[in-house]
Amino acid sequence: MVALRQISEQRDFVVSSASLKDVRSFSREVFEKVNIDQDLKDELVLAIAEAAQNIVKHAYQGEDTEDKMEIKISLNNGELEIGFFDKGRPVDKENVRHRKIDDVKPGGLGTFFIQQIMDAVVFKEGEKPWINHLILTKKINY
Amino acid sequence: MSYKVTEEGDVSIVHLDGEIDMDVTEKAKEIIMPLIEAKKEVHLNLKEVQYMDSSGISVLIESHQKANELGKKVILKDISKSVLKVIMMAKLEQILNLG
Repeated sequence: MVALRQISEQRDFVVSSASLKDVRSFSREVFEKVNIDQDLKDELVLAIAEAAQNIVKHAYQGEDTEDKMEIKISLNNGELEIGFFDKGRPVDKENVRHRKIDDVKPGGLGTFFIQQIMDAVVFKEGEKPWINHLILTKKINY
Repeated sequence: MSYKVTEEGDVSIVHLDGEIDMDVTEKAKEIIMPLIEAKKEVHLNLKEVQYMDSSGISVLIESHQKANELGKKVILKDISKSVLKVIMMAKLEQILNLG
């Protein structure tokens, strides 16, 4: 298989914890097409799944919904951009923070993992019909 | 995620298998917590866990803390490479009992 240097793929998922395995499968499928090492692929899949989990947990507060979220993975000239679009509650950027890492308790690690793995995390107001647009970016050397 | 529980004396060994994410954390807690509450030492065998996210890590923390409260231990055994990496990313390798 020829490794690709440019990618742009997107998929919709029902906003549900049951979709997280599909989010991981989609991410793995996309990164299989790129010549980067397996450890980095695993980290990127984790970051994407954590961001999707945050949509389920926080934007929708775990409520059952038929709404879908969209994930778009783009790679262009070594710049990886992962976009998340949802129609949940507007994200209050001031409240998006991970817990202090030495205050050991369950929860609050997902955002920490995302920040550890990615170079930048940006929240934007989504363009209609979306409410939230999260952008994760990372420079990829391949 | 699938699981198998075996008993060796006062030790309950929980073999977890598959991917542990937010979708299965309640099930994981339902398996592990009663064993801790029964004041058993619990060994979590993570050899066959190929993926764990922050929700899975929360189950490990909650189990560890519950066992500490009861004067017992939860020991993580045969940790797969991918799970160990996430434990280290969370800076928990000195906090959880890795055996």
